[in-house]
Amino acid sequence: MQLSIITPEATAYEGEADSVVLTTRDGEIGILPGHLPLTTLVEAGNVTVTRAGKSEDLAVDRGFAEVSGDEIRILTEAAVGVGEIDLEAVERAEERARRYIEEAEGQPHADPYELEQAHGSLRFALVQRLAKGRKRR
Amino acid sequence: MANTRDIRNRIKSVKNTAQITRAMQLVAASKMKRAQDLAVKGQTYADRLLATLASIAEQLGEEETVAHPYLEKREVKRRGILLVTTDRGLCGPLNSNLFREIVRFPEEPPVRWFNIGRKGRQYLVRTKRDLQADFTISDKAGYGEVRPILTAMDEQFRAGEIDTIEILYPRFVNTLNQEPRLTPLVPLDNLREFLAEREGEFGQLPSDERQMIFEPGAAEVLSEVLDLYIRKSLYQRILDAKASEHSARMVAMKAATDNANNLVEDLTLEYNKARQAAITQEILEISAATFFNES
Repeated sequence: MQLSIITPEATAYEGEADSVVLTTRDGEIGILPGHLPLTTLVEAGNVTVTRAGKSEDLAVDRGFAEVSGDEIRILTEAAVGVGEIDLEAVERAEERARRYIEEAEGQPHADPYELEQAHGSLRFALVQRLAKGRKRR
Repeated sequence: MANTRDIRNRIKSVKNTAQITRAMQLVAASKMKRAQDLAVKGQTYADRLLATLASIAEQLGEEETVAHPYLEKREVKRRGILLVTTDRGLCGPLNSNLFREIVRFPEEPPVRWFNIGRKGRQYLVRTKRDLQADFTISDKAGYGEVRPILTAMDEQFRAGEIDTIEILYPRFVNTLNQEPRLTPLVPLDNLREFLAEREGEFGQLPSDERQMIFEPGAAEVLSEVLDLYIRKSLYQRILDAKASEHSARMVAMKAATDNANNLVEDLTLEYNKARQAAITQEILEISAATFFNES
């Protein structure tokens, strides 16, 4: 199977896979070659790619996945390979977002758009940390 | 005739200017390359979204319609337009061309503006237009930076504050040419027509005879994909505007460098003339003095 993870900025991942596990809105699903054509909504979370007995984790934001023929395409607004995750940077981002949200919630005039962005980056930071944590275990 | 020292100083200062504009030209050239690469790299995402939309629309059948705010027909009481300008000047007529478009807009229906870039903000504030939100994005133009803008417009649209989502930006035609372009994105009155128009952009749909399954359901997936597509369309155009900015600046700075170099040539000629005149004058004075002494 051919897997590609595509984000608005670039194609984040492209390669062969024997099986792919991803988190959809209805729960985790595994996709093996010959899967029925499927379009499903992907939640922020982990994508596990197995190839020749080795597995690799990727963290993705919300989006959707399309399985058709022998191809899986995951379209998401952000994705990062677990190997590339810089835990310190993620923690800093998480901390920043948390602090911003805390401050903003105290006052009524907080910019809702900034708040939304902070929530988004917090969500993605958590996902990245979880993905990295799983790898370590 | 001008003093030789004045001309010399002038040459020096023009040369300095040429050096600065040349540096700016080179910087803009490399940024332009980056912005273009980014626009190209993101294209797959837009194409795939479109292809998915098309394949869902195909599955839905002729009669079925999907309730989605973007597909609703409603009276346009106020337009929402995102204006994309630059933060800095020295990029030729890029921004003023956009402003000229704005002046030509009809009075009705009123427009609510969303803005990217300092130049646009200054213009909108100066002409006292309804500026709802103002954003600044860096040259990198990451998707994360753009997301709040898209969310802001989307929220206002859903709340009924604005009835269209449009974007006014300098479209990148080629390095020498950028044209102001107003693209209405929302509402899409008819999804099928919209897809038919863009058929060439995403190519052949993946051929798989088996029935596609949608989870949780075709309508849910369609509305999610549509959201993503509109956001991506806006983002893609912002990237385009960035490429336009840098190429316009590169061309403007190239023209400035060329002009400065021409000026240096002219001034050098004038300087030599002045120097020659001074020497001739001096010889004349000396020979006149000798002539008087001898006689």
